[in-house]
Amino acid sequence: MEREREGERNGVDISVLPEGCISNIVSLTSPKDACTACAVSPIFRAAAESNAVWETFLPPDYQAIITRSSSTSLDSSNFSSKKQLYLSLSDNPILIDDNKKSFFLDKSSGKKCYLLAARDLCIVWGGTPQYWRWISLPESRFPEVAKLLDEWWFDIRGKIHTSMLSPNTNYAAYLVYKLARRAYGFTNPPPKASVGKSGEGEDYKQTVCLCMPAVEPSQQDQVVLPQQHTSHPKLRKDGWLEIELGEFFNKGGEDELQIRLMEVEAGTQKTGLIVEGIEIRPTKG
Amino acid sequence: MALELKSSDNKIFEVEELVAVQSETIKSLVEDGCADNVIPLPNVDSKTLELVLDWCKNHVDMKLDEEKLKEYEDKFIEVDQAVLYDLLLAANYLNIKDLLNRACQKVADMLKGKTPEQIRETLNIVNDFSPEEEEEIRKENLWAFEE
Repeated sequence: MEREREGERNGVDISVLPEGCISNIVSLTSPKDACTACAVSPIFRAAAESNAVWETFLPPDYQAIITRSSSTSLDSSNFSSKKQLYLSLSDNPILIDDNKKSFFLDKSSGKKCYLLAARDLCIVWGGTPQYWRWISLPESRFPEVAKLLDEWWFDIRGKIHTSMLSPNTNYAAYLVYKLARRAYGFTNPPPKASVGKSGEGEDYKQTVCLCMPAVEPSQQDQVVLPQQHTSHPKLRKDGWLEIELGEFFNKGGEDELQIRLMEVEAGTQKTGLIVEGIEIRPTKG
Repeated sequence: MALELKSSDNKIFEVEELVAVQSETIKSLVEDGCADNVIPLPNVDSKTLELVLDWCKNHVDMKLDEEKLKEYEDKFIEVDQAVLYDLLLAANYLNIKDLLNRACQKVADMLKGKTPEQIRETLNIVNDFSPEEEEEIRKENLWAFEE
């Protein structure tokens, strides 16, 4: 029997496998591989587009998360397939928890990501109008963002339960922000960031250099301690800036993660920071 | 207690019940009282059945030694594609979950990170799509093809 098959190309033909097996195989690859597989052959396409495959790529609690959104367009019957739902959650973040959080999936891995709105953060003196103002901006995904008018005590904290994140994943946290024209006070000294479990003590590993070099006219000497790492801003696709605050590995479990950005020692006046929120997403690679 | 299994090419295998019931299919037959005579397995040839039974036996023997079992499984699954598909089909037919998963994972690992052309070459698949169809699929899944 073997010799007969050798007459054909190597005699090995994956079409001997039932579609269910091929779906099983594809579900053990990745979302990206599943999309690539669609172009291989009609059999592969049928298997790779099946709901069985994309159900495994969606986070196990996706239904529960979707119900936390007040948007009616997320009714799963509006999506022709689980694949469409997956792609939608990756490309179009949804607002949950009373519009205080934005949820989306990391497209290539299916891991859960969040952007915590400024309203979801603890901004010290955030409720005092002389220091911080809450405004609506069309380019924000949230109803309000926080604008720093004038303050020397700068302390912003975000918290999230690790159970909301994907387990066994390395995450990074980013401040998502803009700088008003006359922003200053964030260079000398620059704020420091810490990312870690609440109550475990704060380890300020990261110095945060909020200003793009072009914006700051005066080239002041920056005080960067040798053992600290300095992060720099990047422009995002949604038009906001982001700057890394730190990384952590989520094992899973029921902890609370705290992300903190602070500069309260120097007494220097700060102004012009507009905070969209803090984003938490997996690191690449 | 021993069971008798007959492969598609009429070879008889005598197997301990404990080993044979790793297959949910055989387990159901035993529970329904249909396993007194020789159990015919028309979908599995003797070469494949021998490998499958070796898997089952080792899973009974090494049940408590996770490390040793993993070492065995890794070595076991290093087979050529034809054998791999035969194992996959047999595991599917006989409903042996851990073997099915391991075999599927092995094929999945062969697909990861590859372009459609590379997948076709690795798995000897003929491209049944017309150029227009393929172009449309690539457009629909553009993000997967960008890097």
